[in-house]
Amino acid sequence: MSDLNAGATHGTAGTPLTAHDAPADPLEVSRRTFMANATIAIGGIVGVVLAIPIIGSLLPPKSSSAGSWSPLSKQELDALQKATDKPVKLTFTLKYTDAYLPEQSAPEYCWGIKVDPAKFQAARPDIFNQPGGKANVDYPVVNMGFVVFSPICPHLGCYYNWSDAQNKFMCPCHGSQYTFDGTHVAGPAPRGLDPLPLREQNGAAEVTWIIYQSNTPQRIVVSYQA
Amino acid sequence: MLNWIEKRTGFVSMTKDFLTEDVPGGASYWYVFGSATLFAMIVQIVTGIFLTFFYAPSAATAWESTRAMYLNPYTHFLLAVHYWGASAMIALVFLHLLQVLIFGAYKSPRELQWVVGVLLLLVTLVLGLTGYLLPWDMDAYFASQVSLNITGLAPVLGPVLQHIAQGGGSMGTATINRFFGLHVWLMPAVLVLLVGAHLAIFRHNGSAGPVVEDRRTLKPGRFWPDQFFMDGAFSLIVFVIICFLAFAFPPYLDEKADPTKFFVPYPAWYFLSLFGLLALVPPEIHLGPLTISLELIATIIVPTLFLVIVLLLPWLDRSRTRSFAARARLLWATTIIVAGIAGLSIYAQVTTMIKQAAAPPSPPESVVLSASAATLPPGGAPAAGSATTASQGSATSGAGAKVFAANCASCHGAQGLGLPGTFPPLANNPVVTGDANKVIGIVLGGLHGSISVNGQAYNGQMPAWKGTLSNKDVSDVITYIRGSLGNNHASAVTEAQVAGYKP
Repeated sequence: MSDLNAGATHGTAGTPLTAHDAPADPLEVSRRTFMANATIAIGGIVGVVLAIPIIGSLLPPKSSSAGSWSPLSKQELDALQKATDKPVKLTFTLKYTDAYLPEQSAPEYCWGIKVDPAKFQAARPDIFNQPGGKANVDYPVVNMGFVVFSPICPHLGCYYNWSDAQNKFMCPCHGSQYTFDGTHVAGPAPRGLDPLPLREQNGAAEVTWIIYQSNTPQRIVVSYQA
Repeated sequence: MLNWIEKRTGFVSMTKDFLTEDVPGGASYWYVFGSATLFAMIVQIVTGIFLTFFYAPSAATAWESTRAMYLNPYTHFLLAVHYWGASAMIALVFLHLLQVLIFGAYKSPRELQWVVGVLLLLVTLVLGLTGYLLPWDMDAYFASQVSLNITGLAPVLGPVLQHIAQGGGSMGTATINRFFGLHVWLMPAVLVLLVGAHLAIFRHNGSAGPVVEDRRTLKPGRFWPDQFFMDGAFSLIVFVIICFLAFAFPPYLDEKADPTKFFVPYPAWYFLSLFGLLALVPPEIHLGPLTISLELIATIIVPTLFLVIVLLLPWLDRSRTRSFAARARLLWATTIIVAGIAGLSIYAQVTTMIKQAAAPPSPPESVVLSASAATLPPGGAPAAGSATTASQGSATSGAGAKVFAANCASCHGAQGLGLPGTFPPLANNPVVTGDANKVIGIVLGGLHGSISVNGQAYNGQMPAWKGTLSNKDVSDVITYIRGSLGNNHASAVTEAQVAGYKP
């Protein structure tokens, strides 16, 4: 920047020196350098003072560490109890907050399967790979003999579907495929299907909605929709 | 590195050309106001852009998203900087204009630079006006209501302009959308184009410099770094003041806009003088058969004439001289006008404060901000009727309360307490609870001239409501004011009584 102090000369050679020509006096040189640097510093100060609240305001708010429970319908749970070799789509109403809007609710669903806990634990090492066969999520995965899966493909977040013909969960976006118990068998997904917390409350079943980081081998909770 | 860029873009020599500018007579702190205005504009653009990341323009979300900004310390600070930055920018435009006026820098060949500068002042004021509405709280709503209604007063085009600005017959979501478009897109675009023209003309003619007989005697000074440093130093002071005010006195968020509630709006300080002019004159005077609307003169004609004179100043003052002695009359006129504007502003400030003191107080900001979203009216629709008054009486007095809130509360107050010296109280007023026929007569026919209530004099004008309100509305509202305000417990009035009214 300091070579800006030299300034561009007006006119052609032979015209008298303008105020912008490089001064000979060293005191004048240091005075101009000081003013140039001080001006740049002022710009920097203003920039930083504005950048702090701007960046601060854009950082995401802290997400809550626990979600709310949404009840599942009795009929669908009964259907899940009866169906042993096929998953059942379990619908529920998801309540969530969206920035400054009043509390929102939207229809949502998850996939339920009926399992033998021991067999399921053996079939899904990507969940139960911790010492002592503990799950890598901090809630019990198998409850009431059921496991519920998030309907979101762990690859890039599309909603996958169950194919009776293929006997697999198939994702329409990039062709990831999963068996009945959520094991990843084909396509680009880096891990098997993600479980959701399930609990029994006063005879009814309830789930909690979780968003997981997509496309990572590990299962990382991004947010609970509270 | 710079060489590499220079060869391919020419940016370095462009920057040098931009910074290489003679300042006749040398750099001076007198010249900082224009640059500081530009600096304030940049602060407004930067903070404004990031505020749009958090704001949503609709009646259902404007206040809610603003409230969310108040609850986050970072966005609250950005909002506060934008709020005080607006004031700073307008103050600096005024100072810059005054400085150019005093030094006669608008004279030939700089007439068009002056005209563009005055247009910039106008655009800045429109930005202030449109931005004032966006939080959609009580103050935003009612202050904008006043300015929109003043627009509607303008002859011929007024009602059309008001309709266009509002996006309909009354204020609502369409108004917020339009003000947002004006405040965020159209006016900033016009502002930046005009600033570009202002600077281009400035560079074309060069700086006017100090007032001297012979300009050739002036030794040229440097723009960079000398004048640029002074501009920067003053801008830094402006910035420190803005940040201090933003920290110490952030703007206040009132309750969400509710057209049925009574509220005394507070005009932005730069509109106080216009407001004072309006408050000072009676609405109309009668000269024999002629009725002259002084309101129209005060709100539209005087400001428009003033603007035209200011715009045409370079052609009204055509003398070539810039010396103070030769321009004494103009300088005195300027002093008197500035003093007049200041006086009107102070007058408006005082009357507003008196009215606010008489009005029911707004809830403290902590209450407004902590109210949970669930208790807010759903869908952004304002709650019907003033909650406290409407819920007290019978069904009839509920209807009367609505009529009262919509038509009477703006003068007599939401609780019927009136305004000292101007509008009489209705609560505990023996005339109101006395002869019902007399009350019907006052509501139907209005009331003019000075009256006395409980030993106090009042001289406000009450319009005739016959024709505006139905007989049922009149009977409902009289029943309400006779039975529900203060300690009033007088008899109800029927629709038949109103229909059969004889003086």
